[in-house]
Amino acid sequence: MLTLHRSQVLLASLALAASFSVLAADPDISALDLKPELAEKSAAPGRKLFVEGAVGRADQRYGLGSRTISRASVDFRDSGRLSPSIQATLSARVDATDPDDPRIDGAVLSLREAFIGWQDETASYLAELGRVNLRDGPGYGYNPTDFFRDQALRTLTTVNPFTLRENRMGTVMLRAQRLWPDASLSVVLAPKLESRRSSAGFNADFGATNARSRASVALSNRWSEKVNTQFLVYKEDSASVRFGGSLTALVSQAAVLHAEGAWGREPDLLSRALGLAAPATSRSRLAAGLTYTTESKLSITAEVQYNGFALGRDQWLAQVQPNPLVQAAYYLKSQDLQDNAGRQSWLLYAVQRDLGVKGLDLTALVKVNRNDHSRMLWLDLRHRFDQVDLALQLLRNTGVGGSEFGVIPIRDSVGLVATFYF
Amino acid sequence: MPFGTSEPESAAMTLQALLTTLLITAATACHAALDAQRILEASDAVRNPGRPFSVTVALTEFQAGKRVDASTMVTYTRTLTQDAQFATLVRFTSPARDAGKLMLKNGQDLWFYDPSTKASVRLSPQQRLLGQASNGDVVTVNLARDYKASLLAEEEIQDGDRKTRRTYKLELTAAVDDATYGRIELWVGADNNWPLKGRFFADSGRLLKTVFYRRFAVEMGTERPTELVIIDGINPASVTLMRLSEYTARNIPVGWFQRDYLPRFQPE
Repeated sequence: MLTLHRSQVLLASLALAASFSVLAADPDISALDLKPELAEKSAAPGRKLFVEGAVGRADQRYGLGSRTISRASVDFRDSGRLSPSIQATLSARVDATDPDDPRIDGAVLSLREAFIGWQDETASYLAELGRVNLRDGPGYGYNPTDFFRDQALRTLTTVNPFTLRENRMGTVMLRAQRLWPDASLSVVLAPKLESRRSSAGFNADFGATNARSRASVALSNRWSEKVNTQFLVYKEDSASVRFGGSLTALVSQAAVLHAEGAWGREPDLLSRALGLAAPATSRSRLAAGLTYTTESKLSITAEVQYNGFALGRDQWLAQVQPNPLVQAAYYLKSQDLQDNAGRQSWLLYAVQRDLGVKGLDLTALVKVNRNDHSRMLWLDLRHRFDQVDLALQLLRNTGVGGSEFGVIPIRDSVGLVATFYF
Repeated sequence: MPFGTSEPESAAMTLQALLTTLLITAATACHAALDAQRILEASDAVRNPGRPFSVTVALTEFQAGKRVDASTMVTYTRTLTQDAQFATLVRFTSPARDAGKLMLKNGQDLWFYDPSTKASVRLSPQQRLLGQASNGDVVTVNLARDYKASLLAEEEIQDGDRKTRRTYKLELTAAVDDATYGRIELWVGADNNWPLKGRFFADSGRLLKTVFYRRFAVEMGTERPTELVIIDGINPASVTLMRLSEYTARNIPVGWFQRDYLPRFQPE
């Protein structure tokens, strides 16, 4: 009897232990023991400050061997409300690079934005006055409708088009906007302020962004939850009117289409680069792409690009490739205008989030000039910590001599980048 | 011929009885369906204030019990149309890397805006799920608009505060094409319509996440959940805690919820 009792107790104990172990193993139940962190309070919700340092090694062309490259940057942005209807924004960045930019003395200040904004309490009428970084166009690597992009970069710190936009200066302008629930109409007037660009490092460089008077009108429409369009008209001193249009569309639960194009009468890019008095001709610029995202956190964008003002293969072979001086002028001009040097190009941009480890991201960028068959490959392997980003970056430019990416002195580079956020 | 009824009469009576039974069954089913939908609507009202509001959302992410990430954001929410669909503008406040970034969700009209690049990028629903903001939809989503509810059972469950509660277990099936989930199982408090637990499934039937709604407290006049435990459906060791605080009724203009306003948004 006693034995039976013991076995009963033993069985009951085993059953109880089993049920407890099942309970303990139930992740839904154990998750309930976790404690959340409190929300972080920010005294200045519109402020962002980071310091970035980069060091690496570059393998160069033209018999220059390899060398160390480095960069230090400070990036600051603050915006906030001065009253319920008045806002102010200040945004600037300083970059010191080695090798430095021969066109500018010392470290380079990029005063990106400094403006006062007003909006009524229903957010129906808005206005801004000052240096405003106005950016249009949904393209990833090329933005034909972004009419205020030319000469907006004082110095180049990266080849990633998204990161490049972080350095870009705005244009001094008066901007007025009317917003409806599904539409927006905006008008921009940007006066000429200075004729020449500044070579001083610490300079607002209004000669870069306001070297001529400009005006634009943009009308945006939301046709449905899945389709948006924008139409633009742009005019600047001594140039014909340009027209632009763009579209974004959700084509499936995982795919987004974007397209933009601009049309106008201009001299071709080579004539502008060489300062030749060539006649203006009517041509277009186009960019169209598709972004697809997988369930495994991989997002891929493929984009085709067309610049009717750039050289085709035959013209490039005849006019640019044989002459190093023409090469320098042509590619520097395209860089300065943020315009494509090749008539046809394509871009592949891929981001893999949480690559095996939480917070580890891999970004890959490939750009191909279809006319001279040169290409650029850029990889960024980045780990995001709470206050710091650490990144390993690789760059490879390939192409024959005189091609868009074959002409760049750096053939390969590898670098480490550390970004500290405050 | 029992009970002295003729065969046709008997058949008619049998048919009548059958019809009556069917009618009663149909009416009962209809009543149950109606009740389930009403329970769902009442449960929605517990989560969602009936007027425009903002709330601070703090997310803490755990992997196997170890904290691996944290972020904070403020969401501004209101309905824009007669069909009670919520539009939400999310402003990220931490970590410092993401401060100032915005995400707009107006149905399937999804945009991400980064003030550093001034770029407004349209997102696909799949792309949005890559970010933590995707968890925002377990708070401000009008389930009764997008799903048809049926009452599966009355159950006693252990809620997120480890209390035993009597609940209605509802099954929600997608009623509109753009519903985020294919199916949801939702446990609603039988005595107060509190949403207590949800299991969210993809169209394929795969469990995407399990959510416990807990720490109910009075916010904007009603007891609402102030903490959510979100357990990943594929990897249950991946858990996100969502703390909701500073519910504030606000006058939020309709104009905030379109792409062209994003570069003009200024925090208070």
